[in-house]
Amino acid sequence: MNDVIQDEIIEEFDGLEWFDKYSLLISFGKKLKPMDEEFKIEENSISGCQSKVWVRSYNKDGKLSFDLDSDAMITKGIIALVAKVVNDRYPQEILNADLYFIDKIGLKSNLSPARSNGLESIINRIKEVASNEVNLNS
Amino acid sequence: MKDFAKDFPILAQKVYGKRLVYLDNAATTQKPDTVIDTISDFYRSDNSNIHRGVHYLSEVSSERYEEARKKVSDFIGARNSSEVTFTSGTTGSINQVARSLGPSLRGNEVLVTGVEHHSNIVPWQLAGAKVKAIPMDDDCNLLIDSMEITNKTKLIAIAHASNVLGCVNEIKEITKIAKDHDIPVLVDAAQSIQHLPLDVKDIGCDFLAFSGHKMYASTGVGVLYTSDRFSDIMPAIGGGGMIDRVSLDKTTYLDPPLRFEAGTPDIAGAISISAAIDYMQKIGMDKIKNHEHDVYSYSRDKLLEMDNVMVYGNTNEMCGAVSFNLDKIHHYDTGLILDKIGVAVRTGHHCAQPLMRSLGIEGTVRASFALYNTKEDVDMLVEGIEKVEMMYK
Repeated sequence: MNDVIQDEIIEEFDGLEWFDKYSLLISFGKKLKPMDEEFKIEENSISGCQSKVWVRSYNKDGKLSFDLDSDAMITKGIIALVAKVVNDRYPQEILNADLYFIDKIGLKSNLSPARSNGLESIINRIKEVASNEVNLNS
Repeated sequence: MKDFAKDFPILAQKVYGKRLVYLDNAATTQKPDTVIDTISDFYRSDNSNIHRGVHYLSEVSSERYEEARKKVSDFIGARNSSEVTFTSGTTGSINQVARSLGPSLRGNEVLVTGVEHHSNIVPWQLAGAKVKAIPMDDDCNLLIDSMEITNKTKLIAIAHASNVLGCVNEIKEITKIAKDHDIPVLVDAAQSIQHLPLDVKDIGCDFLAFSGHKMYASTGVGVLYTSDRFSDIMPAIGGGGMIDRVSLDKTTYLDPPLRFEAGTPDIAGAISISAAIDYMQKIGMDKIKNHEHDVYSYSRDKLLEMDNVMVYGNTNEMCGAVSFNLDKIHHYDTGLILDKIGVAVRTGHHCAQPLMRSLGIEGTVRASFALYNTKEDVDMLVEGIEKVEMMYK
């Protein structure tokens, strides 16, 4: 599955050096709307060794969206991109989604399960939410 | 000063096109050619299982293994090489003591410090003991006068040097007090054995644990020193190679150290520790200590000079690791960007969550040094930090 949003992200990162990539991620991170402190609770957190990440989801007219936040800015930048790709989609779409942009923009190492609290556990959480929604409606 | 980095082939490489500045030595050190060659030569010409064979190679490898034990024994100033057991590492060593002392620890207390690595906390909890910390001040100096010893205190287990802050604890003061109360002392020397000359008789401890891989030898092997005073404690692990006689009713064990080494040990690993000791002794432990002290002090001074850098811990003697954070920048972000400059550091809680809690932080950036690091490496770190700050402006 190719999608326009992912392709746009890939294009934006294309040819950038590492510092520019990180600078871009930092700027995305800064722009991501922070989650209200009251929601930064254990139940919403994906805990790990490196940085904290919080995930909340909501359903509007059958489509799912996610609020994501992190205490680390680069992580925040990455999850801002993930949110951009998965938000406002039907649960089945999210469940089927192949987030190929991560590899294409050179962030695959952040996906490795060895990086605790890596992107993988965040994506797993998102898919889990989508899967629950699909099961609920089936 | 000789360029010791030349002895370590891995350090010659570039990462992301930049010179590799390896400052993650508290996690593991790199290996000099002599250690790498020793391991490879062992498998090329001497490999055999030890202590059981009648043939030539078994004799050779047994001899080399026992020579390694003697080398370690002399290196740490043990009275007898029977006091040296090869284990899987510091964690393995401490768990072995916890299981061996198990019955006496259950329901009682083990006194530790507030800077311990989880591997000097969890084994005692698993053995059923309550773990209590010796109080410390804001700079992480131990407040030894406030140390509370009760009739439930059955062991004092302390890090010689903190894996996070580099603070060196005054272990001799503690062993003195422990002796008055007849309480055994275990010293976790994982972060000091490679930095400071060390003598178990002088320290006065009963147990000392360290890892091979943090002292230029291979991973998966370590040492437990057990004072002869405890030679009658029961083995923690049973199996082959450690028994005197086995029947289905009763088993009797060999004397230490063999009774503590069930199964085939990491023979090449033990020999690699011997080669690492040779390497360090050729330079001289005092010389290593002085050189590292220069680089370490330089790093602290440089970091403290920076406006937006918070450095943690400040004790009389320090070595190895320095931990810091940049104002308003997450340690993980700092580490990720430093990596791309070729500077390898570690970020996170460094397996010392109680310490993080008492410092009121989630984690730190940790730079940790070895004998091959130089002031130029520190300059690269500082340059990297400036770059990180710039990116956040």
